[in-house]
Amino acid sequence: MARLTPIDNAYFDGERTGDFTVIGSAVQRSDARGHVTGRTVFFEDMSLPDMTHVKIHRSTRHHARINRVDVSGALEVPGVLRVITHEDVPNNWYVVLRLIGVGPDDEPVLAEDRVLYRGEPIVAVVAETEDAAREGAARVVVDYTDLPAVLDVEEALADGAPIIKQAGTNHFVYEGHHCRRVRFGDVERGFAEADRIIEGRYSSSPIEHAPTEPTGCIVVPQGDGRLRIHTNTQAAFFTLDNTALILGVPPTSLRVVGGTVGGGFGGKVDVIVEPLACIAAMLTGRPAKYVYSRAEEMQVSSTRAAERIVIKDGVMDDGRIVARKITLYVDAGAYSRHSPYGTTKAAAHMPGPYTIPNVHVDAYCVYTNRTPSSAMRGFGVTIGDFALESHMDRIARELGMDPLRLRLKNAYRDGDMKAHRKIASGTALVEVIQSAADLVGHDLPPEYRAMSSAERAEG
Amino acid sequence: MVISVQTPDSAEAAHAALQAGAVPLGGGTHLMTRLNDRAGGDLRLVSLRRAGLSGIGVDGATVTLGAATTLADLEDDARLSYLSGCVRSIASPPVRNLATVAGNLFVPQPYGDLAAALLALDAELDVLGAGGARREPLEQVVTGGLRADDLVTAVRFTAPAQSAFRFYKAARRRLNSGSIVTVAARITVEDGLVGDVRLVLGGLARRLVRATGAERVLLGAPLNAETVARAAEADAIEPVDDAYASAWYRARVYPVHLRRALLGA
Amino acid sequence: MPSRIVTLKLNGAERELIARPSTTLLDALRETFGLTGAKRGCAQGGCGSCTVLLDGRPVVSCLIPVVTVDGSTVDTIEGLADGDRLDDVQQAFVDHFATQCGFCTPGMIMSATALLDRKPDPTRQEVTEAICGNVCRCTGYEPIITAVLAAAEHRRGVPLASAEAEV
Repeated sequence: MARLTPIDNAYFDGERTGDFTVIGSAVQRSDARGHVTGRTVFFEDMSLPDMTHVKIHRSTRHHARINRVDVSGALEVPGVLRVITHEDVPNNWYVVLRLIGVGPDDEPVLAEDRVLYRGEPIVAVVAETEDAAREGAARVVVDYTDLPAVLDVEEALADGAPIIKQAGTNHFVYEGHHCRRVRFGDVERGFAEADRIIEGRYSSSPIEHAPTEPTGCIVVPQGDGRLRIHTNTQAAFFTLDNTALILGVPPTSLRVVGGTVGGGFGGKVDVIVEPLACIAAMLTGRPAKYVYSRAEEMQVSSTRAAERIVIKDGVMDDGRIVARKITLYVDAGAYSRHSPYGTTKAAAHMPGPYTIPNVHVDAYCVYTNRTPSSAMRGFGVTIGDFALESHMDRIARELGMDPLRLRLKNAYRDGDMKAHRKIASGTALVEVIQSAADLVGHDLPPEYRAMSSAERAEG
Repeated sequence: MVISVQTPDSAEAAHAALQAGAVPLGGGTHLMTRLNDRAGGDLRLVSLRRAGLSGIGVDGATVTLGAATTLADLEDDARLSYLSGCVRSIASPPVRNLATVAGNLFVPQPYGDLAAALLALDAELDVLGAGGARREPLEQVVTGGLRADDLVTAVRFTAPAQSAFRFYKAARRRLNSGSIVTVAARITVEDGLVGDVRLVLGGLARRLVRATGAERVLLGAPLNAETVARAAEADAIEPVDDAYASAWYRARVYPVHLRRALLGA
Repeated sequence: MPSRIVTLKLNGAERELIARPSTTLLDALRETFGLTGAKRGCAQGGCGSCTVLLDGRPVVSCLIPVVTVDGSTVDTIEGLADGDRLDDVQQAFVDHFATQCGFCTPGMIMSATALLDRKPDPTRQEVTEAICGNVCRCTGYEPIITAVLAAAEHRRGVPLASAEAEV
């Protein structure tokens, strides 16, 4: 195998001694031949003679009470076999993190007496063909009473905001606290000592993963009574466990077949399609397919959460940041999914890879009447980095300082105490910035070149 | 749901199907996207693929495009090189191999870039209707539409004089993206002054806009930045919000793109 | 629902199917003939995952009622390789790491094949235009473009990278 690029061991001389034969070399992808011949099998690449199709009737309201659901129109469509309502779901809770003890249960598989976002599933229609299932779903009639909707994180937390969650607050409660908190040093004293205060406010929109292959599954009843679930999940054991919990069956009665994902990016770790397809298969005794249309993928699959991040820094004229206070809002949308965890990650990521003696972080997981957000590539971290690094550039501009030097001055070093009372180790930010400066021909003075992650010259 | 698809082999048979209530299917690049995803009543389609409506004729300065000619066919025809920029700005090769000339006339904005070009070229339509064959100016059809049983069989226009045709499309991506602003113009300049101009705007508003106000400003004036800036103020356009751009953004960048379309920078 | 018998020349062989009016070319390929290389990504003609060649030209098969192309020639990804021997474009995609999740790959290769059939010596810009209707959400366009250009070179007699790498 040809070596592509030499491994740069310069900064870690002696740490890596192995004779690497794979790292840094070109190795044929094991799945490439299947991909280029069209033989790689994705979940939808099977046609079963007796297959049924599931389509969903979804909420047309952001927030409403459901007075009545009339499914008679759906049942009149030729080819419609069954209509599934919340009453057909044995345990009508989808709470992906209950497996690790995170509660409360807050999301129904199918809506019961209320809907909390536009696109929320209310009724599933099972039919002989996709056309019939779609037509059936369109003929379900829901009578709503609209309730005031909350579509912004700060509005959701404001005094007098309508409470949209049955738990009684529009935010997730962390061990009795209104948010995930980090406290280190004394930020107010840091602000008082600082030469100047530099503030910033950063916002992001929800981001859709838009996998080329829509989220879906095919469930096949087996001769032994088990259900075989062909799915494009990224998280087979989430699927297995959550589906078993929802169906009220032991996990051994399910078999998950996966591993081939037509693009996931974190968007296929929620367990949305499998439980309903299983119920359809159980009720009809036939294979059932439930796959999102592109429009559903865009509208109702989980997004990366929208975030709003407010930063207040106490900064010395020489560039040292002596205090950083952050208020961070993660828009979970209508239900928890992975967002309480993502918010914890966001809090844990602050104040960024910098050593700052006084830090105060309040990270809120906020519920709104928007599409639930969940996992996506580095969720809880990515938007925080956007805010932090935008803010570092703002500080550099205000001080008239080179942004790389500002970062080098504040970069964490091995042995530093981080805001979470962890000793930093294996840091390499200083060296990465130095290398990056070299690569783009950015000039650094000798004292910045001499900096090292291993030791802090200035004490 | 589609309950039947007819594939007639003549324009007359296709027209008869329309009269019997079928809906015309050109390349399917608009209609089929709806049928694939949305519930709806029973629908009968009549495909124009085999109805003998394809083909490009150039007779002197007169160009005739069969209604079911694909966009890819236009792209490939060296005689229509002035349309190449327009056609290649529309969707992607696998879509252009299906999409048809007449279909493009009836897609909602911000699509229909070829329609903008044809309107700037003052095209006429050959229409087969209840009273037989007739001609309709495209300009009239763009505003007034056609009857459901009218069948467009061809589009005719006079080829523009050398370099008299301008097409400029601003989009989110360089390729395969709906329009934010489309400018199509037939314009001649004599002794530095605009001699003849016909200016059409796509992508901006609900419908294609013939920018008659801008045309009046331009006519007889020197073709320079100052004139074009005034022209951009001369029409009351109601830009739309969609996934590609906000109405605000469209209004804000329209003068820039008009300038680029007419002055090249 | 009046179904019709439709004949296609599919990857070189005459094939027949019974099609309902709503059956698309993509449905026919995947469900009737079991040729699942063409994928359904959007059913809107927007992602290009279902691209096949219709009478030699790339089309989005999800937007075509199959009864309207009765008698046509259809070529799919499954028809490219000669047994276990990959064709030039397929081999170049393997060699240049032009695949990731693989979902867009068959459509991408069919668009590239159509380009090279018409233009044996495309520019980088022409390759970009040819695949602009094929969405790779894993963002692997660079290696894909490289692979298509390498396949073009190979067709003109330059050996593929895989031949050199055998050391």
